[in-house]
Amino acid sequence: MAESSLDVLLKGSSGRNTRGLLRIIILLTIAAAAVSSRLFSVIRFESIIHEFDPWFNFRATKYLVQNGFYSFWDWFDDRTWHPLGRVTGGTLYPGLMVTSGIIYHILRFLTIPVDIRNICVLLAPGFSGLTALAMYFLTCEMSSSPSAGLLAAAFMGITPGYISRSVAGSYDNEAIAIFLLVFTFFLWIKAVKNGSIMWGALTALFYGYMVSAWGGYVFITNLIPLHVFVLICMGRYSTRLYISYTTWYALGTLGSMQIPFVGFLPIRNSDHMSALGIFGLIQLVAFAEFVRGYLPGKQFQKLLTSMVFLVFGLGFAGLILLSVSGVIAPWSGRFYSLWDTGYAKIHIPIIASVSEHQPTAWPAFFFDLNFLIWLFPAGVFICFQKLKDEHVFVIIYAVLSSYFAGVMVRLMLTLTPIVCVAAALALSAILDNFLVLSKPDPEAVAKASSDDSKSFRSSRNAVVGIYSYFSKTVVTCSMSLYLLLFVAHCTWVTSNAYSSPSVVLASKMPDGSQFIIDDYREAYYWLRQNTPDNAKIMSWWDYGYQIGGMADRPTLVDNNTWNNTHIATVGKAMSSREEVSYPILRQHDVDYVLVVFGGLLGYSGDDLNKFLWMVRIAEGIWPDEVNERDYFTSRGEYRVDEEATPTMKNSLMYKMSYYNYNSLFPAGQAVDRVRGVKLPAESPQLNTLEEAFTSENWIIRIYKVKDLDNLGRDHNNAVAFDKGLKRKRATKKKGPRVLRTE
Amino acid sequence: MKPWATLFIFFSVISGVLAAKPSDTFEKFQSLSRSGPVDLDSASFKELTTVPRDYYAAVILTAIDARYGCIMCREFDSEWDLISRSWNKGTKLEGLKVVFGTLDFDHGKDVFQKLLLQTAPVLLLFPPTVGPFAKVDAEPARFDFTGPVTADQIYSWIGRHLPDGPRPPLIRPVNYMRIASAITLLMGAATLFTVLSPYVLPIIQNRNLWAAVSLIAILLFTSGQMFNHIRKVPYVAGDGHGGISYFAGGFQNQFGLETQIVAAIYAVLSFATIALAVKVPRMEDVKGQQLAVITWGAVLFATYSFLLSVFKTKNGGYPFYLPPF
Repeated sequence: MAESSLDVLLKGSSGRNTRGLLRIIILLTIAAAAVSSRLFSVIRFESIIHEFDPWFNFRATKYLVQNGFYSFWDWFDDRTWHPLGRVTGGTLYPGLMVTSGIIYHILRFLTIPVDIRNICVLLAPGFSGLTALAMYFLTCEMSSSPSAGLLAAAFMGITPGYISRSVAGSYDNEAIAIFLLVFTFFLWIKAVKNGSIMWGALTALFYGYMVSAWGGYVFITNLIPLHVFVLICMGRYSTRLYISYTTWYALGTLGSMQIPFVGFLPIRNSDHMSALGIFGLIQLVAFAEFVRGYLPGKQFQKLLTSMVFLVFGLGFAGLILLSVSGVIAPWSGRFYSLWDTGYAKIHIPIIASVSEHQPTAWPAFFFDLNFLIWLFPAGVFICFQKLKDEHVFVIIYAVLSSYFAGVMVRLMLTLTPIVCVAAALALSAILDNFLVLSKPDPEAVAKASSDDSKSFRSSRNAVVGIYSYFSKTVVTCSMSLYLLLFVAHCTWVTSNAYSSPSVVLASKMPDGSQFIIDDYREAYYWLRQNTPDNAKIMSWWDYGYQIGGMADRPTLVDNNTWNNTHIATVGKAMSSREEVSYPILRQHDVDYVLVVFGGLLGYSGDDLNKFLWMVRIAEGIWPDEVNERDYFTSRGEYRVDEEATPTMKNSLMYKMSYYNYNSLFPAGQAVDRVRGVKLPAESPQLNTLEEAFTSENWIIRIYKVKDLDNLGRDHNNAVAFDKGLKRKRATKKKGPRVLRTE
Repeated sequence: MKPWATLFIFFSVISGVLAAKPSDTFEKFQSLSRSGPVDLDSASFKELTTVPRDYYAAVILTAIDARYGCIMCREFDSEWDLISRSWNKGTKLEGLKVVFGTLDFDHGKDVFQKLLLQTAPVLLLFPPTVGPFAKVDAEPARFDFTGPVTADQIYSWIGRHLPDGPRPPLIRPVNYMRIASAITLLMGAATLFTVLSPYVLPIIQNRNLWAAVSLIAILLFTSGQMFNHIRKVPYVAGDGHGGISYFAGGFQNQFGLETQIVAAIYAVLSFATIALAVKVPRMEDVKGQQLAVITWGAVLFATYSFLLSVFKTKNGGYPFYLPPF
């Protein structure tokens, strides 16, 4: 009989084993789905590192693999930030590189010859599989439902909010950090539940790993203390809490201080002070609890409570005093700008200029999370219903991270895990009720209906169950439909929005065939092959890492924006007249200048569109020499055509972008397709630079900085002489400033 | 003006030099100022800015009177006062003289006309023409106010035009009143809390209240409320045909009303989910349960379909939809 043979499989201990096996198979399938949905870009293009920051990580990993761990730790990089250099070993989060280095060496040990590039490209998808597993563990701690963990793992595996940062080739810190984040939280919940030093120490261990991997560790540093604080306020202090928190804090802080880039920040920076403060508070509370056991009198208890409050208040005031007096560093700018949203725009234009630091409009939420976004509040509500210690954690995490994600697009990444947990809780609550075949027995219901529930209104009555098959079918079908839609949505989003390497662009030709635009690599390879090994390349900081990674040439500034003045120097050189820029270029040994120009192709992410940020950042340092107002017409328009302001037309950036551009068009017909305007008939004239290379679609243009004139003339005169113009006598009296050669 | 004129003549007589000698002009305005900025009119402005002068003159041309509706002028007035006080009190470079003045539109219409000023406030800094810090170019440096400006910005702007050397820091007077009132308020709040705690605590400890607050916060944040706050988007906009367009075009734009609609959609969807997950399985009535399931299921379906259609308008290439909308 089929039924009885099924019964053997589904009941008793072998039933448990069957379910366990099924669970493992499902989890493995989820992990496989998570990995494979991130491979679009490898299949469409090739195994290539994406975007900007990954190129630096890739370069650092290569350095680590070639030179060993210790020289990586002490790495001073003289090929970036010329002429300053960068103490790279001490200013990066080494977790990512070390992880792929270890994987590389393990594979070598197993005699599997894998190129380090392929490890780097595939690291993020690989870790996303692990994230799905960690998510399963975390959610299983939240709910007794058999389906919640699996649902959460599936959501986490394919939700675009996480895929956006972990497609193959996006070799960035977030690639491993989200796994560490989720797993640390799982260990923390486990520690709070069991009150065990082992789990606490494991939490600290993974916290330390997280610190070594991503600057976003501050989120954990503040979220765990907040969780503890809320639990104490709710009167849920317990020795479990004390043990897990103190273990985590002591070991985790020591661990995090081992990273050179973090160093003494955990005890000197306001970002970390909440953890320290709660560490103090929990000692007081523990002491009070201890004494309370010996002092029965009510008066004493009151006294004790007020003492705790007083000491806490005094400690808090002391912290404020220390930070005002400067012993404790104030909030770091990036972190502070999350609370005071206008802060970055005024004080740190370089942070405000990055597009992923912009606030999030609502379509982005739906785009990244699809129907999870409305399951999310329902899941939080269900947490309120149970409200054990771990549910408090979910609620705090949910509210905080939805605020952060609203302020900064990039932090959608930290919101995604908790959305998956909450949505899985909500959906599993529905499925658990509606997927039960047996009907509720009215008599049993009548017995159970007198209930224990306390204060929460919606859960006062006992769960009865669903009576009709029709209801079950309707709800199950519609939920399956939403789930299918979710999968389709995720695939569509991943394939369309998040799988472009942005180093290689793809567009469609009118006949529908794909047209690959490979200008970046073309130009970088030109640099690699046609310039001396130590030719200094100046470009806007966005392209610094790529030039370092792909062209292997020294750069002036790069995406590690540690020196605002240096960036402003580049901004000033780009936005000033040639006569001002040329001395700057000479002083910084610049050999080539690289600009990105999208006018021919209609590529909107080009330098002229970023130009105002260069002006603004330069203005921040030299307010007298660069003025944003000068780049706008009298009617306040940003124009590049005939009516552009003289400052705009004379700026180096404008000249380099449009130099000789009109030669592509019939006379007077030159059109900029990004800004959609007709350009002046005459090309701008460049005196101190000469065009060295322009890529196929004109996206990258490289100019060589001319050497000083052999005859000691200034470049203006030399160019005029070469053109056969008669030398003007009057030039000596007045005219543009010329380079003096000392 | 009379007594000052006599004083002025008196000074010129006893010193036995020409009245136009610049150092005297400086002394005169310095004594006038009494550590704050000098209130100027057309005549004294002219006197202050005539060459030769051996001092810097920083003059703000402003229109404080409420008639002109210049909010920036009024806001900056106290800041300007702060700057001149800080400067006059502190120690500065030997021999460096700076006069701070305020010229109101009411007293100096012709100055505004002469300088062809259309807007206020405008800050002019006249460099000295004689003396150790003399500049060749006697033209004043001009600062145009394009947005709200703090005293620190202006102070550093002025500082850039002055010769290098020690300059007094900008000191904001400690607002004792505010500190005192803050402490009083804090203590009052603490007292109130202790007194009211038997009544307040049940409210604070109410789980339903916290659930409501958290859910509302989450709904607001995930519907892009912070974007509205930071970008200061319009609440609604016209569609060009006299109607209202509820949804902004483009993926990166949104209106205030739009986010509220979206938040409401999310709320409906969430509550339908909560109803299905929590409320419905607790219903004992068979018929009622059936009805509730169908109702909530239909609400869920229709609202989600509407949400998808709204999203489709924002993102043209989006291929998915659900039937009704």
